[in-house]
Amino acid sequence: MTIGVFVLLLILGVPIAFVLLGTSLAYIELSGNRVLFDSFAQQLFSGIEAYGLMAIPLFMLAGEIMHRGGLIRRLIGVASIFVSGLRGGLAYVNLLANMMMASIIGSATAQISIMTQAMVPEMERAGYSREFAAATTAAGGLLAPIIPPSMLFVIFGVLGQIAIGDLFLAGIVPGVLLTVGFIVVVALVGIFRDLPKGQWLSKPEMLLAALRGLPATVVPILIVGGILTGTFSPTESAAAAALAALVIGGFVHKELDLKQLPEILLRTGINSTIVLFLIATANVFGWVIIFEEVPQRLTLWLTQLSSDPFVFMLLVNAALLVIGAFIDSIAALIVVVPLLLPIAQGTYGINPYHFGVVVCINLVLGILTPPVGAGLFISATLAKISPGRIFVALAPFLVVATAVLVLLSWQPALVTMVLK
Amino acid sequence: MGSVSRISNAILRVEKLLITLLAAVLVLLILLNVVTRAAGEAIFWVDELAIYTMVWMALIGASAMLRMRIGVSVTLVTDLLPPNVQRAVVRLVDAILLGFAVTLLILCWRWYDPVALVQSGFDLDKFAASTFKFIYTEPTNTIGIQKFWVWLAVPLMAAAMTIHGVANLLEGPPESAGSDADGRASSGT
Repeated sequence: MTIGVFVLLLILGVPIAFVLLGTSLAYIELSGNRVLFDSFAQQLFSGIEAYGLMAIPLFMLAGEIMHRGGLIRRLIGVASIFVSGLRGGLAYVNLLANMMMASIIGSATAQISIMTQAMVPEMERAGYSREFAAATTAAGGLLAPIIPPSMLFVIFGVLGQIAIGDLFLAGIVPGVLLTVGFIVVVALVGIFRDLPKGQWLSKPEMLLAALRGLPATVVPILIVGGILTGTFSPTESAAAAALAALVIGGFVHKELDLKQLPEILLRTGINSTIVLFLIATANVFGWVIIFEEVPQRLTLWLTQLSSDPFVFMLLVNAALLVIGAFIDSIAALIVVVPLLLPIAQGTYGINPYHFGVVVCINLVLGILTPPVGAGLFISATLAKISPGRIFVALAPFLVVATAVLVLLSWQPALVTMVLK
Repeated sequence: MGSVSRISNAILRVEKLLITLLAAVLVLLILLNVVTRAAGEAIFWVDELAIYTMVWMALIGASAMLRMRIGVSVTLVTDLLPPNVQRAVVRLVDAILLGFAVTLLILCWRWYDPVALVQSGFDLDKFAASTFKFIYTEPTNTIGIQKFWVWLAVPLMAAAMTIHGVANLLEGPPESAGSDADGRASSGT
């Protein structure tokens, strides 16, 4: 019955935050546990009363300021120094720039929308097909929530009560693996389907691009370095990055007018609200399903299937790929973590950082798959082609990403070796 | 434009202003923390205040989102419907959202129980003793005020959402029903 309410609200197109809210209300009413109503409103508040979550608005702000302040364009310039001369050079520039961007922006959808506008027209001018350009950019966007900082890791860390900084570090090797995988895809497409020849920049051009990009590279170094050395908490590194981006964009590049600041703050405020309110309502939802003893029943069912951690991880992956295709990745994460993390840790002895990284990468894939992949639709809207055509071009990238996922599930050391 | 729409729009303007200010305060508080800690003079209440700043921003934002009709939703099924049915569904969703807002408002009423508060003569200990509700006696950790002041964000949000909900319902679906790409683009992941 409660599930019926959930599905009905979902397909009517009620915003997912309210779907979770409504389902929780319905459950309490139907179960007769009406005493839960008394603290319902308070649960909504306490669901987002977490230090780590402040990283979400702050990283969004840093990304937005980087975009407006011209830092991102210059970082793309830096990327082109290294790979622009290769066959399919711009595709590599795209991936490399996406990797740099991923160390600033923690959101795949945000990164896809910024990078699609920056890269697709340029790749098309250079002779690439539009779907390949859009697909490469969208695949590159997947790196955003995997290479630190990462919005999903922040949420996983808060929900699972594990150190967000360590989770960020655990994402580095998987992020590099994915990038290498995507580079292989571009190389193979170049061999079999022919991509436009690249052109190396001349020496003076290279020097100019490097000099221009130098100030902008401070920001990712500040973020990753600050977290690595323990100088900053992830939340503080985000605030420091926003300040650095503001100074560079405003005073070095002079592209950012301080008068734009209120509008930027409002935009990031509202965009982060979309995520934060979803977490708040999902917290209420999670609080309610615990009374339903869903986790206990699920544990029993899973342990009957297999006692092998790798098999468990594969089952989780398969289930999440399906769930992720239908539900927004953050919503899915919030619903799934309280259910599965205790089982993974307690019953199968899986390292929580390993579990977190695999689950987050898995759910990120969902944003590029129909029917509800937000990233796919953003890419299609901004590149002005149908989602279906992008999806076909994306398929090889997604196959590689899935292979990386299985590899990571099989070898936990790939995730955990950077820790301790 | 009806009077509810005008009130709702005025509230939205205030909400946008508050979101802007709170976002700015959030950044400044975190930076303050970095600077004071580096100077060896960390201020102990900054973290808690910053968290409340974020929660208020998020809850005010949630109300603004309702009015602006943005947020992550699954439009897979509704996109397939003919336009006039789509508009009917939008109306239905508006009604459901208003229902949730009102429910939330009622739950906040139960939570704060203002009637019992008046009956106890605003004696907070007496209130706790007679109702077994400890909302008014719970303190914040470091900022030195009672927690119920901070929690007020929830009833305020519920009230604003109710007004926005009525306005949305009365105005009917916007010209381009369904979610636009920009609304989607702003979601998180």
